[in-house]
Amino acid sequence: MRTVESEIGSILAGSISEITQRSIFRRLGGMARAQLQHLSTQDRHAIQAELESSVRLFAPAKSAQLIASCARALALLGAPAAAGAPAAHGDRGAAAAGMAAPIAIGKDQCLAIDGEKDIASARLEAWSEAVRLGLSKLTSVKVATAVSELARNIVFYAGKGTIELRPRQDLRETRLEIVAADEGAGIEPEKLDAIFAGTFRSERGMGKGLVAVQKLVDEFQIDSRPGRGTRVSCVFRGAR
Amino acid sequence: MKPRDEQELPIIRIRDCLLVSIQIELHDRLALELQTALAERVRSQGVRGVILDVTWVEVIDSYITRILNDIGKSVRFMGADCYIVGIRPAVAMTLVEMGVELDAVSTALSLDAALEKLEPRR
Repeated sequence: MRTVESEIGSILAGSISEITQRSIFRRLGGMARAQLQHLSTQDRHAIQAELESSVRLFAPAKSAQLIASCARALALLGAPAAAGAPAAHGDRGAAAAGMAAPIAIGKDQCLAIDGEKDIASARLEAWSEAVRLGLSKLTSVKVATAVSELARNIVFYAGKGTIELRPRQDLRETRLEIVAADEGAGIEPEKLDAIFAGTFRSERGMGKGLVAVQKLVDEFQIDSRPGRGTRVSCVFRGAR
Repeated sequence: MKPRDEQELPIIRIRDCLLVSIQIELHDRLALELQTALAERVRSQGVRGVILDVTWVEVIDSYITRILNDIGKSVRFMGADCYIVGIRPAVAMTLVEMGVELDAVSTALSLDAALEKLEPRR
């Protein structure tokens, strides 16, 4: 019989002591002894949330991996993608090594940026997401700083836009993908070249902001169309 | 608490220096007001230096850096020194990585250290 306790217990075995496991299952109450296939989606999410906080506390080093395994057992995630599926960063050979494609760990968040007041809250949201993902203290500050820059650019140059935070992970690393999008005036290709060549400075320092973001992140991509808007995608990677 | 539009940063006189502890979000108008107020008080009170305490600032991006640097420049133009104190370790490392310049201000580890540099005891 596949109960929550037996399935999750086998995942946590070796990483979290039996005593601690028992106290985790005690907190889950009746749900721990329920059969996996009888659980409602709501229950599954509740169990996952409880497990996430415990795992982070008791097995921080392996938390990302354990959380993903628990989510998979609770059928909150699909099976790992088949080998050969396009990996998000092919250069690291994830697909070739039979690695799973990055999977979502936690909800994607879309933050509306409508004015100066939203800059501080976006920064705070990004920071807590980075901490939740278990990224290092320095990386978390870098995440908050990059989001601060991106949010400022939106407010100063487009008026409004959105910043999306997408927590992901594969077997190798934890990733926080950040996408800043607006429908502002956009940046002409020549200007964009000048910004990254370091020869362009706007009055309020947009050039500097974009260059700073590019230097802080592990992956960076900008797509801007004059008259249509700008989209900046970047990724912070964290070791697992 | 005052509405955001009316917030201001108190400027405190310590010995021959002016101290501002930055504890609220710096935005354009506030930054300009602070820069103006500091310049006026440097002149009227004949201080030696201005100390900006950023102990409570958890994130310093390129925009904030530019504001701090501009304040430093105007204070220096008037003949006083400008010190930034309390930059957090992670913030310092982030600033290095971003490659931003903070060249119009001096830095010190703490308020005491800045005061000591500005007014060495004989």
